[in-house]
Amino acid sequence: MKYFVIVIAVCCLASGCIAPHAVPVDEELNSSEDERMLWRRVQKEQETIDNSGFLYRDPELENYLNRIAKKLQANSIAPDFKIQVKVLNDPNLNAFAYPNGVIYIHTGILARMDNEAQLAALLSHEMTHCTHRHSLRVIRSIKDRPAYIAAVQHTLAKISPVQAVARLLGATGSMAAVTGYTRELESEADQVGLDLMAKANYDSKQALKLFEHLKQEIEGEGIKESFFFGTHPHVQQRLNNVQNWLAKNNQEMKAPVKNTLEFQTGLQRVILANARLDLRMGRFDVAHKTVVKYLSMQPNDARANYLFGEILRQRNRQDDASEAVIYYKKAISLDSSFPEPHKAMGLMHYKEGQKQLAKKFFESCLLLSPDASDKAYIQGYLKNCNFNGEES
Amino acid sequence: MKKLIPLLFCLLFVFSCVSSAQERSLKKLPDANFSVEIPDGWWKPEYINKYLITKDGPFLQYVLIQQRPLDRAFKNTRKKIRREMLPQEAAGIIIDELASDRFLMNLKVIENAPATIDGHPSFKILFTYKDKKGSKFKTLYYGFISGDSFYNLRYCAAMRHYFDKDIATFEQILTSFKLANNTAS
Repeated sequence: MKYFVIVIAVCCLASGCIAPHAVPVDEELNSSEDERMLWRRVQKEQETIDNSGFLYRDPELENYLNRIAKKLQANSIAPDFKIQVKVLNDPNLNAFAYPNGVIYIHTGILARMDNEAQLAALLSHEMTHCTHRHSLRVIRSIKDRPAYIAAVQHTLAKISPVQAVARLLGATGSMAAVTGYTRELESEADQVGLDLMAKANYDSKQALKLFEHLKQEIEGEGIKESFFFGTHPHVQQRLNNVQNWLAKNNQEMKAPVKNTLEFQTGLQRVILANARLDLRMGRFDVAHKTVVKYLSMQPNDARANYLFGEILRQRNRQDDASEAVIYYKKAISLDSSFPEPHKAMGLMHYKEGQKQLAKKFFESCLLLSPDASDKAYIQGYLKNCNFNGEES
Repeated sequence: MKKLIPLLFCLLFVFSCVSSAQERSLKKLPDANFSVEIPDGWWKPEYINKYLITKDGPFLQYVLIQQRPLDRAFKNTRKKIRREMLPQEAAGIIIDELASDRFLMNLKVIENAPATIDGHPSFKILFTYKDKKGSKFKTLYYGFISGDSFYNLRYCAAMRHYFDKDIATFEQILTSFKLANNTAS
């Protein structure tokens, strides 16, 4: 395993320096020993991911994503290659494909998209890594350059983010998710992906918008991620390739598809779930922006209003606390049976020494959720409220 | 005489093991602004630069005691514990940190409740997780804020056999924990 990790990771470092082998077009899928070995290896890596508890399980969303993938694949060189799209509960900007056709998309990148055409841009790029057997091509290239591998091994040992991610994703996943394939193969994925998008009548300009959006986020929010789509140089490279492709293929499409409405309906839950992840990671401004986006679609969602209050409370900038109260109150008015904003209001008053007000909200919280996982805390606060009386 | 030589070697080996175990069995942690009674048989691995003690090896069970400055952000979440936070809020930050850790798979928080350590209002979190190889671990994590520091004491052990075996010892360690300049009322 160690040797395999090193070989794959060296491939990552070698990006741009090694001309990848072309796998003969007539070479049957999974017919060679090296490809079979690669698939066996990635199946194990995927088992680890799938059993890690990090998968975002929403069959409706998965069906939708797989339907789009199928539509794109229909015009590919391998329409029968089994492609399967899964979602990872991860707020980082990323998506990656394994050579056996399994594509993982992070909730973070899904939450940043505006329409189905942007999703198609990402899926067609990732799908091309599978259909054009990029992992296998990288591995075969490396085999031809053992001396080169030895030379960069030493450098690799110093890259700790790669090592950390490799522990979850495994070697192949790390190459796909962190550093990408070689520059040449990534460019091929861009070009073929854009062709597939156009053939499926998706608005190719949306690919440009997606990468521009990602670039703005990375720069504006100061996002520092080790993942492929979360790093400035990789996103800039995607942008350049899309711009070049659009310049060469500038004929106007007839009624290109964006499909904004179905996309937004299908992805609402994941947007909110991702905002929770951003909040959990302390990325308050990103979470704030995401919930603003969600509330523009669903202004009367009690849970989203509560989450917005939580983001403000935890961010704790000037006026955040008073604004949080507005959103907690709105959440209560929208759904009075939802216990969380009651507890949040109770805590705000409790910390300000307004024990009687705090008591009222803690009591209503326990009434709505008598088996709350944190009821021991709330019972303690109530005891103090009764014991101490009003302090301010 | 030939038969005695292997016996002498065995005796020498046993003696060296006993003396090295005694050396490892620390009674007092160095350079700490807290004191804690370390039970017999527990030792600090020399290669770990933390207040970590174990009985059967850190992969089977360990007790870790940490003092961290409040202005130091956590690794996975970039969040900080603030002085004015209630124990429940501090517990929330720890749970967020644990849930954002990619090495803790299938994390399950079993209990999150108030507690008291050395007179300080604290929290305790009981959770389980799996590592990449599928081994299950269980951890009991206590934490409290005092001055400019966040203190935490945790007991982590392999879920099977080891956690239950030494939980009572951890409770003893917890009870013996004292801050050098205790300001708790």
